Amino acid sequence: MITAERLTKRYGDTTAVDAIDFTVRPGSVTGFLGPNGAGKSTTMRMVMGLDHPSGGRVTVNGRAYRDLPAPLHEVGALLEAKAIHGGRSAYHHLLWLAKTNGIPRRRVDEVIGLVGLDAVAHKRSGGFSLGMGQRLGIAAALLGDPGVLLFDEPVNGLDPEGIRWIRTLIRSLAAEGRTVFVSSHLMSEMALTADHLLVIGRGQILADTGMADFIARNAAAHVRVRSPQGGVLAEALRERGWTIRRDDDGALLVEGASAEQVGDVAGSRGLYLHELSVVNASLEEAFMRLTADSVEYHARTDQPVPAGV
Amino acid sequence: MTTATLEPAVPSARQAATTGQARLTFGRILDAEWTKIRTVRSTVWTLVSLFVASVGLTALICLAAAGDLASGAGGDEPVGAFATWGLMFGQIAALVLGILVATSEYSSGMIRTTLAAAPRRWSVLVAKTTVLAGLLLVLGTITSAAAFLAGNFFLGREGIGFSVTDPDVLRTMIGGGLYLAVLGVFGLALGLLMRHTAGAVTVGIALIFIVGNLVGLVPGAAGEWLTKLMPGNAGSTIATVESFNPDLLGPWTGLGVFVGETALLLLLAGWLFRKRDA
Repeated sequence: MITAERLTKRYGDTTAVDAIDFTVRPGSVTGFLGPNGAGKSTTMRMVMGLDHPSGGRVTVNGRAYRDLPAPLHEVGALLEAKAIHGGRSAYHHLLWLAKTNGIPRRRVDEVIGLVGLDAVAHKRSGGFSLGMGQRLGIAAALLGDPGVLLFDEPVNGLDPEGIRWIRTLIRSLAAEGRTVFVSSHLMSEMALTADHLLVIGRGQILADTGMADFIARNAAAHVRVRSPQGGVLAEALRERGWTIRRDDDGALLVEGASAEQVGDVAGSRGLYLHELSVVNASLEEAFMRLTADSVEYHARTDQPVPAGV
Repeated sequence: MTTATLEPAVPSARQAATTGQARLTFGRILDAEWTKIRTVRSTVWTLVSLFVASVGLTALICLAAAGDLASGAGGDEPVGAFATWGLMFGQIAALVLGILVATSEYSSGMIRTTLAAAPRRWSVLVAKTTVLAGLLLVLGTITSAAAFLAGNFFLGREGIGFSVTDPDVLRTMIGGGLYLAVLGVFGLALGLLMRHTAGAVTVGIALIFIVGNLVGLVPGAAGEWLTKLMPGNAGSTIATVESFNPDLLGPWTGLGVFVGETALLLLLAGWLFRKRDA
């Protein structure tokens, strides 16, 4: 369980995290979602006692991080990929880490096996790929078998196989009853892993909601229908008070109606249909709408990209 | 928290946690820091260069200068200053090792792993200091003794060697270890303050080697005292049988001053280490 109360971080005049309150509960994956620069990493570093809050407080299992008697047994974290001395082997990296908290040597071998680094455990970690570095970071997080886990952008830079592996691992850790807190700037990734969602933008919590609720509320669906008598159909649908837009290929996009209703209207007029389907609005769009005002650096999309870029 | 559904793939180390064996203690942080320092090759290379430069250069200069020193053609240079001459260069390695103990954690981002495992920052700093000082004390004493024996071999051939039982000789051997240990800690403090390897090495070398000689240009008593008190000047007399500069502080007084300066720098570094974000 992670609890933040009016947690604040200021750098000079800039407020990176602005008096946020949240609770991350055990037994589920809580996604921490926000654009780059929203304050996700800063918040996670404050949870770990690495950055000092300018105000408010954050506790893990009811205690400030630095008061935990054996931190690695309570909290495991993957904060950045490859935060390892390149001249040290994966085995020795995990060994010194284990020694700090009195974790037995055999546990080092166990976690190396768990993340599949057996073959390279005694090689210098400087030559590791990003994916291998990520696996080593996860081995370090699991070393003390902690009940609380933090992953900061765990899938960044990974190949599809690595992404799937981490996703499965995160799900299984939560299924074991652990508290799992995962940050990402990708809504699509969160939709696949998280049960609960904390959306942060410009240092403020914009949404604190169940993933299912978020989807139900934000993913408004529309019906896509294509007919050789498109004009007649559009007229008929408009008469029912639904909003109609025309897609690029001439299909009609109907908002506010179900597929059944659209089909019935067409049938009652004896119109042919070549396509009738329900299209879910992307969660990515919902997330973009939610955080539109809080993105630090906007790229303008209304101007053509110069040639050669 | 419910942990009843733990799958066997993640064997529980939590039993250890609940029986109280798993606690963060100073001894464990110390053990971890010792593991860190001995498991990177840079430590080995630094210590090898410390030994080779100190012993090799001492042997070379004594081989080259012993004849002139014996005949008096070399002027009135004190013979004892040559007996561990190579340490002047070997000490750079001790300084760099100390700096690396701090800055390598920042360049890799590993400091966050260290402080996540051991959030008590003063304990981490004391553990790092203890491990580094202990290692350099032993290696420094061996190096200093070997350098003296190598240099004295050539001095002895010209009949101007020292007796190994000379109290100044014994003091030099142990003094080499003491000086290099304190110098390493000086580097650690500097590295922790600056968090940047190249910057800290530059400042460290400039302070110890360049500024230490330049302050002599300040006129009058101020220049004399600055020369006496500069860290490298004050600390290094303990590691030579005789000093080139007779105006420097005595060996033990000088070491005391150097320890004091290093302690101040370490306290400042520790205070900032505690206060700053990792």
